[in-house]
Amino acid sequence: MRAGVRGVLPFAVLVLAWAALARSGWLPPVFLPPPAEVARTAGEMLADGSLWAHVGASLGRVALGLAVSVPLAVTAGVFVGLNRRLAPVLEPIAGFFNSLSGIAWLPLAITWFGLGWLSVTFILFNTIFFLVFFNTLVGVRTVPRILEQAVRTLGGRRRHLILQVLIPGALPSIVTGIRLGVGFGWRALIAAEMIATTTGLGYLIYDAANFHRTDTILVGIIAIGTLWLATDRLLLIPVERWTVERWGLVSRTGV
Amino acid sequence: MGWRAALATWAALLGGVLAAWSLAAATLPMPAYVLPPPTAVLEALVDLARKGILPTYVGESLRRIVQAALVAVAVGVPAGVLLGMSRRAAEFSYPLLSFFQSVSGIAWLPLMLIWFGFGERTILIAVNYTVLFPVVFNALLGVRSVPQIYVNALRTLGASRWRIAWAVLLPGALPSIATGVRLGLAYGWRALIAAEMLVGANGLGFMIFSAQPFHLTARIMLGMGIIGVLWTLLDYFFLRPLEDATIARWGLVQR
Amino acid sequence: MTAKITVRGLRHEYVNPFTRERVTALDGVDLEVEDGEFLTVVGPSGCGKTTLLGILAGLVPATRGTVLLGARPVTGPGPDRGVVFQEFAILPWRTVERNIAHGLEIQGVPRAERAATVARFVELVGLRGFETKYPHELSGGMKQRVAVARTLAANPEVMLMDEPFASVDAQTRITLQEELNAIALATRKTILLVTHNVDEAVFLGDRCCVLSRRPGRVKTLVPVKIPRERRTWQLLTSDPSFAATKEQVLRLVREEVGAGDTA
Repeated sequence: MRAGVRGVLPFAVLVLAWAALARSGWLPPVFLPPPAEVARTAGEMLADGSLWAHVGASLGRVALGLAVSVPLAVTAGVFVGLNRRLAPVLEPIAGFFNSLSGIAWLPLAITWFGLGWLSVTFILFNTIFFLVFFNTLVGVRTVPRILEQAVRTLGGRRRHLILQVLIPGALPSIVTGIRLGVGFGWRALIAAEMIATTTGLGYLIYDAANFHRTDTILVGIIAIGTLWLATDRLLLIPVERWTVERWGLVSRTGV
Repeated sequence: MGWRAALATWAALLGGVLAAWSLAAATLPMPAYVLPPPTAVLEALVDLARKGILPTYVGESLRRIVQAALVAVAVGVPAGVLLGMSRRAAEFSYPLLSFFQSVSGIAWLPLMLIWFGFGERTILIAVNYTVLFPVVFNALLGVRSVPQIYVNALRTLGASRWRIAWAVLLPGALPSIATGVRLGLAYGWRALIAAEMLVGANGLGFMIFSAQPFHLTARIMLGMGIIGVLWTLLDYFFLRPLEDATIARWGLVQR
Repeated sequence: MTAKITVRGLRHEYVNPFTRERVTALDGVDLEVEDGEFLTVVGPSGCGKTTLLGILAGLVPATRGTVLLGARPVTGPGPDRGVVFQEFAILPWRTVERNIAHGLEIQGVPRAERAATVARFVELVGLRGFETKYPHELSGGMKQRVAVARTLAANPEVMLMDEPFASVDAQTRITLQEELNAIALATRKTILLVTHNVDEAVFLGDRCCVLSRRPGRVKTLVPVKIPRERRTWQLLTSDPSFAATKEQVLRLVREEVGAGDTA
């Protein structure tokens, strides 16, 4: 309860400062609309369903990107990680593609797939796939050999090693990869939506800029921040808590 | 596997990819702009380098990211450490920082276009914003996670508040700061590419984006290659050593 | 008595990855472990004790020679030979009971039967009340109890132990040694335990096998003529025959350490 108050208070102070600044007349309203107006715009957009449509479009793309790339990336990462000759060769290549992740794929995506959801999904796929693949690969390679040996002496076969040792052992890394993938993917999505689509939060705010609708832009920005925090708090952190922390493991980062 | 063998495998792999790429470009029944051969990318490199466009664009992009990095270190680190020194300030700013960190600079871009106009200033502010917040956020987290016993040990020696900050809090927070700088720059580099696409008149993002409508795909691929290589070099020779030096040297483990 | 484990003419070579030198770790090891026997293996550090155990487990390939389990040659790891490792090789993502059940799970034993077996071994190693804990919540001694229970629950023909108590504190080690002795007596398992600790080797073994320095081979087999039922540290510290055997083994090991360039 107290933690909740403590979390809300800074935002309340921020909104009050914003209201005071807007009221002072120092900035024209077209530059900075007062919070009340932004709230009214948000209310209208919620009522007529347009905000939901944009939120749904953005979230749907992230979900699609995750659903396509994570299973592929984890599978590929585990199998490459199992191969002692291939893994050290492919690791830096995956690292290179990580450094290219995100919006840099957009021009090529538009050339290949045209404007639209396919291009956006392609960008999300590239961003999430390589981050998760790289982190899975690194994770598999850092699972202590002794755990593999122990399960082999219990009669475990390749299937047991993969499902009961390598994947759980690599999970801290995999979760890190997914968190980074969603983080980078979400940012790339917003940028891509500004250019390549006519729905989604990125499109909403970029389009609003053409009409100097700062109130709409602020609604979009708040939605973007809130959605990311909600995803992180309600989905990614609980997953980490349920696996990594419960098992007493330490999570690792890797961009 | 020794580095010689790794290098040989690498060379073989690169040769194989280039051969397959050339073969696909030569035989697949599609227009040349969809998949130009590797030689076209090389030609684009020579052409743009000779015209002086490439050095200028690379220089502009590097100038912007280096400037943002310097500001983030000069302003972000002290700000984060100062906020972290007081429990109240830390608790107050934590939710705000995590919110602003999660809204990427690109999401602010439409608003910044209205505030600062269509040009260099907007690009710089968007990139600085993107790099700064992860640095401040992680510096604050780093200071808060320094074990209290170190602070108490110095207090019993009669150290002042500022000496404690300098001798204990800053070094203790360094691993976290290094992670923040690395993450901030990774986000910032991508935000820069996106900003250059949307409002730029030069830079690598502008280069690949402006090539798209003219189907100069070789130029896009060249730009992507340079974006990836530049980041890999920056990461390998600067950011990773920074992180490794702080974490490995002091035997600190990053959570 | 029949031999449970037979080792004949065993040789193991490997290439040192840094110096690229060819090293012979074991050369001409001949050894028989009888059914139900507790055999301990001691030797100077680097004599190939752990390599020998790895070959018996099937995790390390032999360069030459044969290893038989009963009459079957050993070709790879298998559930007929359970291994307890020096490090706590239990899975961090499984609770105590799921770690102990792991071997049975792999063998495809039905759930109800599994639960009964697990309960029995939890009781045997004294982990009642900790069934649903994760390894990181346990002390080093408790982790090694889990490892022993996991190995025994899979009902192997022999149990191979590689310095199982090297990573726990001295007080716990004494307790675990006494517990292991009691468990060995209760289950009548054939056990081969590798250690560098002479006290431990003499305390636990029916016979104590001293390996020579590298390349390791069997130097001497020293029988310990104290009934295992009577072995507790309290009784043995004042037992002259225990002291004499310990002295004998210690001398044999020291000869090997002194024989080399200061090992």
